Amino acid sequence: MTLLARKGAQGASHKLAPRGRSRSLWPIALIFLAPTLILLFVLRVIPAGEAVMSSFQNSPSRLIAPEWVGLENFAVLFGSADFYQVLGVTGIFIVTIVPFQIAAAVFIALLLNERFPGLGLVRTFVFLPVAAPAAVATVIWGIAFQPRGPINAILEAAGIPSQPFLTSPSQALFSIIILMSWIGIGYWTLFLVAGLQDIPEELYEAATLDGAGWWQCFWSITLPNLRRTLAFVVVANTVSSLIAFVPVAILTRGGPADSTRLIMFDTYNNTFVLGDVHLGSAEVTVLILILITVTAIQFRLLGKEK
Amino acid sequence: MRKHIRYIAVAVAAASMVGFSGCAGEGADGENVSVTLLTADPQENLQPAIDGFEAANPGITVEYEYVPFDQYNNLIEQRVGSGDAGVDVYAADSGAIGSLASKGYLVDLSEFSDEVAAGSLPATLDANTYDGKLWSVPMWTSMQYLYYNKDILDAAGIPYPSSNLDEAITYQELLEAGKQAQAAGATWGVLFDQINRYYQLQALIESAGGGSGATGEDLLTPAINNDGWVSAMNFYSQLFEEGVAPRGVATEQMPVLFSTGEAAFIVSGPWQATTNANEGAIKYGVAANPVFEGGTPAMSTGSWNLGINPATDQMEASKKLVEYLSLTKEGNALSTSVLGISPTNVAAFDDFVAGLDDRDAPHTAGLGELTKVQLSSIAVNRPNSPGFTQMGDVTGRAFDDIRNGQPVQGTLDSAQAELQGLWDRLK
Repeated sequence: MTLLARKGAQGASHKLAPRGRSRSLWPIALIFLAPTLILLFVLRVIPAGEAVMSSFQNSPSRLIAPEWVGLENFAVLFGSADFYQVLGVTGIFIVTIVPFQIAAAVFIALLLNERFPGLGLVRTFVFLPVAAPAAVATVIWGIAFQPRGPINAILEAAGIPSQPFLTSPSQALFSIIILMSWIGIGYWTLFLVAGLQDIPEELYEAATLDGAGWWQCFWSITLPNLRRTLAFVVVANTVSSLIAFVPVAILTRGGPADSTRLIMFDTYNNTFVLGDVHLGSAEVTVLILILITVTAIQFRLLGKEK
Repeated sequence: MRKHIRYIAVAVAAASMVGFSGCAGEGADGENVSVTLLTADPQENLQPAIDGFEAANPGITVEYEYVPFDQYNNLIEQRVGSGDAGVDVYAADSGAIGSLASKGYLVDLSEFSDEVAAGSLPATLDANTYDGKLWSVPMWTSMQYLYYNKDILDAAGIPYPSSNLDEAITYQELLEAGKQAQAAGATWGVLFDQINRYYQLQALIESAGGGSGATGEDLLTPAINNDGWVSAMNFYSQLFEEGVAPRGVATEQMPVLFSTGEAAFIVSGPWQATTNANEGAIKYGVAANPVFEGGTPAMSTGSWNLGINPATDQMEASKKLVEYLSLTKEGNALSTSVLGISPTNVAAFDDFVAGLDDRDAPHTAGLGELTKVQLSSIAVNRPNSPGFTQMGDVTGRAFDDIRNGQPVQGTLDSAQAELQGLWDRLK
């Protein structure tokens, strides 16, 4: 009944905006959008275009006008075993951190959507890390991860041997994932809680009356209705993880043994530490292509209506 | 109503456009000239020298900008590399002069060559020269000593290492002494000041016969996996493997670990005495820089020099500033007065050495003589390769990996291949 009423309301709102009139609103809409579009163009499109152009050039110094070198920079990138290591590390990072953060965020969002004593306190603990600047959180975690730091002190007190964390090639990347998830999970939970609260309560009431259990409700009502929010969260999380930089730059500089050499850090290192702007631009171009491909696939998979 | 909305929309759009062009316009002061000095040291370290310069040059004020060491190189790339005239004078690290000059990031200062040759320490002229021209003027230089904690050594029954260069303790003996000190209760045995940087470890490697790592006429052929490098890095690896030195602790924390009594030994510069004095917590002595067993003695040297950004629009005032800080006794001495690092002006250096014994008496007795002997006989500077930036980055990561337990030979082989690839781009 409620659903029908909603559908009716939507139909009515369509009737309010006949086609001719909606076309006449376009110029005004454009004017309102202009500041954002101009900013997007100046801050995103132009730099991306410049990076792509620069990836086909080379110069011994930034002060000397570059020459066109075709695909030379890409040949250097793909001819180097180090770059494949960078792509591999970035791949492992993405396929681990994104599902982990999303699963944890969904779980916490479901928990926060319930009513129980101390809910406010739990919410505060979940959302508090979001307010911490990434650099500050990184430095604090860096101290916590030290071989003689507080985490190992707790482990040893519990009779567990101390761990090398950031000093071990097999643990460093996962230590970075934990650090980033400490901030990330709370952040993505915010969106999912909003998405959950948008799901009409009546759907659950109807399903409960029909004898559906918690799991059935979750599978048949929550997840399908959360799909749009989830699509956004998955795509945004993937993008933000692909350009993850701060913890690596502050704590590991890509080590040990290149085990945390994520593509964004490698690009930064080539461009600003080593001063090879054009090689860095080639890497940015590869990164843009990866981002476009991954997000296009994700939108297609998650955005499709049943 | 719609008309109003349109007016508002136009106003919003116009306001946003104004925002883009609203940054123009500045109040130029015709009488006072301002020179921006960019360094990797906090302002208080150079404030006495800036005050001295401004007093000696009325009408010129110095704007100081400080960027931490780890971000310094990147910032030079971004600002000087983009032709930013907001930086006039900047500190250029020893070893980086060839790299900066070959990119066009420094003004030719050959007009000061004769003054540098006559008035600065002998090695500094070469260190600032690339391709036959002087690109920067020396400001500071450095030397390394072995500091030891007397209380810890006494408790462990370890004899004090000698301050006589001919009887310098070997790195291998130092490792054993460090372990002995730890057995007697010290938290750490042996530390290096800049524990994962090329500057610090060059002396260890050169002492083991590994050379600087940059070979060939253009210094763009790496040699960082030869026997000497492997021997030196085997020792370095052992330090951490056996827990004599800490993993996972930032390099900036090393001097404090020693000055607070946590470590038996540290190989560090004269600034360590300043840190120790400020802390006032330990009894310590200073000995000759260690030597590799069966190798030749070597000590890291060199420090910050001063160069001028080619994009500067204050060339004359900038030259006055570098001249004051480098070539006058007063300015050069003032620039080192807070940090306690060595000046390069000969007259200022003589005063500096004369005052070393009393720097943190009685702990620093004999430091002046030791400085003169070491500087004249075992000092090694960083190679003036146009690819030193790449070398510092690649070796720095290799040192970190070895410190964290990666196999020495494999790590050095990978670093050699990576550096070769990077240097090939520069040829």
